[in-house]
Amino acid sequence: MEFDGTVSIADVTSEEVWLALSDPVMIKQSLPGCQFLVAVDDEEVDFDELDESSTDEDPETLPAADPEAIAERAFVDGGRYAALMQISVGSVEPSFETVVTIEEREFPRMDASGEGSAASSSFEMASGMELVETDDGVEIEWWAEADVFGRVAQMGQRVINPVANRVVGRFFDRIEDELRDVQTDEPSGLRDRVSGLF
Amino acid sequence: MATDESPQEPRPEGVETVAAEDVDAADILGSAVERREDPSLLTGDAEYTDDIQLPEMAHVAILRSQYAHARIDGIDTDAAEGMDGVVDIYTADDLDVSGNVPTAWELDTLREVDHPLLAEERVRYQGDAIAVVVAEERYQAHDALDAIDVDYERLDAVTDPTEALDEDAPVLHEEAGENTAFEWEIGDAEATDEAFAEAGTVVDLDVTNQLLIPNAMEPRAAVADYDPGDDELTVHMASQNPHVHRLLMSGVLDHPEHKLRIRAPDVGGGFGSKIHHYPDEALAAWTAKRLERPVKWQATRTETYLTDAQGRGHETHGEIAIDDDGNIRGLRIDTKANLGAYLSTFAPAVPTYLYGTLMSGQYEIPAIHCEVTGAYSNVPPVDAYRGAGRPEASYIVERLVNRAADAVDADPAEFRRQNFVDPDDFPYETPVAVEYDSGDYEKPLDKALDLVGYEGFRERQAEAREEGRYLGIGLSCYIEACGLAPSELVGALGARAGLWESGLVRFTPTGTVTAACGTSGHGQGHDTTYAQIVANELGVDYEDVDVKEGDTADLPQGMGTYGSRSAAVGGSALVKGAREVVEKAKRIAAHQLEAATEDIEFDDGDFHVAGAPDRSMGIQEVALEAYLAHDLPDDVDPGLEATAFYDPDNFVFPFGTHVAVVEVDPETGEIDFENYVAVDDVGNQINPKIVEGQIHGGIAQGIGQALYEGAEYDDNGQLTTGSMQDYAVPKSSHIPEMETDSTTTPSPVNPLGVKGVGEAGTIAAPQAVVNAVVDALEPFGVEHIEMPLTNERVWRAVDERAGATGGDD
Repeated sequence: MEFDGTVSIADVTSEEVWLALSDPVMIKQSLPGCQFLVAVDDEEVDFDELDESSTDEDPETLPAADPEAIAERAFVDGGRYAALMQISVGSVEPSFETVVTIEEREFPRMDASGEGSAASSSFEMASGMELVETDDGVEIEWWAEADVFGRVAQMGQRVINPVANRVVGRFFDRIEDELRDVQTDEPSGLRDRVSGLF
Repeated sequence: MATDESPQEPRPEGVETVAAEDVDAADILGSAVERREDPSLLTGDAEYTDDIQLPEMAHVAILRSQYAHARIDGIDTDAAEGMDGVVDIYTADDLDVSGNVPTAWELDTLREVDHPLLAEERVRYQGDAIAVVVAEERYQAHDALDAIDVDYERLDAVTDPTEALDEDAPVLHEEAGENTAFEWEIGDAEATDEAFAEAGTVVDLDVTNQLLIPNAMEPRAAVADYDPGDDELTVHMASQNPHVHRLLMSGVLDHPEHKLRIRAPDVGGGFGSKIHHYPDEALAAWTAKRLERPVKWQATRTETYLTDAQGRGHETHGEIAIDDDGNIRGLRIDTKANLGAYLSTFAPAVPTYLYGTLMSGQYEIPAIHCEVTGAYSNVPPVDAYRGAGRPEASYIVERLVNRAADAVDADPAEFRRQNFVDPDDFPYETPVAVEYDSGDYEKPLDKALDLVGYEGFRERQAEAREEGRYLGIGLSCYIEACGLAPSELVGALGARAGLWESGLVRFTPTGTVTAACGTSGHGQGHDTTYAQIVANELGVDYEDVDVKEGDTADLPQGMGTYGSRSAAVGGSALVKGAREVVEKAKRIAAHQLEAATEDIEFDDGDFHVAGAPDRSMGIQEVALEAYLAHDLPDDVDPGLEATAFYDPDNFVFPFGTHVAVVEVDPETGEIDFENYVAVDDVGNQINPKIVEGQIHGGIAQGIGQALYEGAEYDDNGQLTTGSMQDYAVPKSSHIPEMETDSTTTPSPVNPLGVKGVGEAGTIAAPQAVVNAVVDALEPFGVEHIEMPLTNERVWRAVDERAGATGGDD
C-alpha cells in the first residue's frame, strides 16, 4: 500500500519543523495511540520491559524545551527506536510493537523504515519526508509504503486507508499546533536559538 | 394482489411442483414432487453441526498464520495458557500421530509434499494452522489465540502459478526442490503439430481462469466425541463424503477405521469445499481423544475465506486450428494450474483428468494435445469446486471456438453445428481418452436458438448499434463428465480409491422401507429423489420410503457426493439394491403363492402368477412374511434387505447449450442481461424441479465467476478479498431471469438413464457471458476480457482499444 501527501504549515521555518519532527518526544505526543517511543540499542527489544518503565511524564517539547536538549535527543542517522502503537482498525484495536530505524537523516530529508507486530497482524513500512521552504512557510512532503499482514490486512484497503489517513492527519495537525506555539513564543527568542542550531 | 399490474416482463414459467399425495405411485419417477427436506430446512428445524450440544463440551479455536510464507522460529503459549477458561493449547510438538494430510490421487510425475496438521517450521499460506486452543467457551478460545506469540521470519511469497514456476520464485517445499508439482499431458502432440501445420487458420488465446472461493452458506464445522471405554471416536462434521473422511482421517489420526464414525448432520452447501480432508476437523477429533472430552470447532466466515480449498486458478494458452472448409482440425492447450500451498484431496485429478479429457467439447476434433503443469504457491490448497476442471476446459474450448468462428467469418452457431459430433457416432471416442456415452448436440442448440430468438438477433443488434447501444450474444455448447468411473479405470488414472457407490434397501416388517446411500447430500434434495427412485423400483408408496445418508454408522461404505455423481452412481446403487430385494421377495412370493419363481411377475408393487392375476401378493405383505419367517422356502433366509455395490461402466456426459444476451455500456462498463437461455440434456430426469433448481444455482455461480468473483492476493500473498464486502458473491439482483428447458438423451451407462446436473450451470455459464460481452464490444475491436468482467475491466478494454485505434468514432 502506498500513501503520500503534502502538509503546509504557514509562518514557520524549515529548521523549526525539522527540529520538531526530529524530536522523539514530540512525535510520541503527536502520534495517536503511541504509548511510548524510545531509542533502543539491543537487537532484541523487550517491549514488556519498555512498557513497564515508560512513564506518562514526558520531558518538555517546543516551545518550552531547550532547543539544544531537543537536538541532543533527536533522531540519529541509523538509530533504532521502539514504539508501542495502539490503533483501532475496524472492530479490532491491535497494539503494534514497532521498531523504527532512521535510515537517512540529513536536513531537510529524513527516511525511516519500520516493522510492527501485534497478536494477529503486522506491518512493514518504509517512509520518508522532505521539507520544502515556501513563500509563507514550509511544505512537508511525505510518503510511505506499507505492507500489512494478517487480520488487519484482511480488512482491505477499504478499511485501512481511512485509518492511515486519520493517523497521519491527526499527527500533522498536532505538529502544526505545537509549531504555532513556537511562533507565538517570540519574546523568548526561541526562533533565533533554533536557527542557531543549524 | 390480483390487481398487480406490474409493467415488468412476466417471469419465465418454471416447472410446477406437485404434492407427493397427488402423484400416482406409477408416475413417481420423473415427477416434480415437492422436496421433502424443505420444511425442516425452512423452519429452522434442521440440525447443523453447530447446533449439536454435548455435555461437558469444550471449544476449539485454531491459530492461523498471518503470513503467506514464513519460517516459525518459536511459539510462546505461556500467556494464553493462563487465560480464563483455557483448557489446553497444542502445537505441532504435541501431536503424537502421523498427522500428515494425504492426497487421494497420484500422478506419475507428482511431487508429493508433507502437509502436517499443524505447521512445524514453516507456514505456506495465510491461514495455515499453527496451534489449537481449547477453552470452556468459544469466545475464550478465540481470545486466547491473540495471546499466543509466534516468532515468524517472513519469507517472500508467490501466488501466481506462472510466477511460481519461474526458477527465481521462492520455493515452498524444500523437499520438492521446486514448485512444480507435476507435469502432465494427454492427447497426441505430434498429430496435433501436423494438424496445425496443415491448417488454413490458427487462432490463439491466453486466458486466466481466476481463483474462486467456494462460500458455502455454512462454514465448515466439527463436533468430536471420544469414548475411551470402547475407543469409539465420533465426529459430526460438515462433510460431502463421510466415508471418505473416515478412511482418510483414520490414517491421519492413527485411529482404527472401524472405531471411527463420521456423521454429517444437515450440511449447508459445499460446492466441493466439504469433500476434502482438511487439518481442522482432524485436529478437533484428535483434541477430543486427547482430552477424553467432546469438543466443537466451528469455522468463522473469515476462516472459510482463508482455508477452504479454492477452485480454478488456471493460466492457459490455447490454440485452435481450422481448415479452409471451416472444420476444426486441432486444439493445443498449455495450462499452468495453481495447486496452492499443499496437495488437497483430489487436487492432482482436477486440472488433469477432469480437465484435459474434456477438451474435445461437443466437437469432432481429430487432433488434441493438452499439457498441464501444476504449481505449488502461497495460496490455500486448490481443489474441486463446483465443476472442477470441466468449467476450465469448457471455458477455453468455447472461447477458442467462438474466436475460430470469427476468424473464418462464420456464424458462431453454424460453426459449432458444423463441427458437432454426429448423433450417429455415439458412443464417441475422443482423442483425449474418453468415450462419450450418448449425445445429440443439435437438439439443445436448436431449442436454445429458438427460445432466444437468434434468427432476428443480428438485425436487432445492428439497429441497436445505430442508436449507440451495444447488444451481444454469447453461446456456450458445453460438455460435462459426471460419475467418474469405473473404479478400475480411475485406479489406472491414479485414484487411491474406487468410485463405485453403495446402496442399502431394507424393508421393515410393517412394509416401510429404509434406503441408505453412501453419497451425502448437502442441499441437493437426495431424500426426495432417492425416495422417488426406490418407491418406483419397489412399487411402494413414496411416503413409505425413508432415505438415510451421511452417517458411516448407517451404511457400511460409500464414496460421497461430488462430481454430479449422486444420481448416476448412488441412485443406480439404490436401483441395484432394490432389484435384489425384489428378487428375494419374488422367491418368497412364489413360495407363498405356490408357483414357480419363473412364473411370478412383478409390477407396481404386486407379485402375481403369470396368467392368473388374482393369485397375487403385495411386496409389503411379502416383507411381513420375510420377517415372520413362518413359511419361507428352504433356501431363503429371513429378512428382506440388500446392500448393493454399483460400479458404472463409464462416465456419463451431459451436455447442452446456454445463450446469454447482454447489453454493454462502453462508457461505464456496465453489463445488463437481456436474456439468459439454458437448454440442458442431463438424460432422464428423476425430478424436473430439482433439475431446474440445480441449473439455476449453477448458472448463478457461473455468472458469479464471469462477472463478480475472484480471490485476489497482494504481492505478499495476503488475501485482499477476505470477506463478503470485498469478494462479490452475486446477490439475486445480480442474476438475470433465466429461461430453462431441456432435451432428453438417456444415458445407456446406468439403469436410470440419468447423467448428472449438479455442475452444468457453472460449467456452461461463464463463456456464454464472456462470449456475449465480447460480441457486444466487437465494434470497439475488443477480443477478450479476463474474468471477472467488472465494470472497470470492461471500460478499460474499450478505452484501451479506443486509444489504440485513435478513437471509436
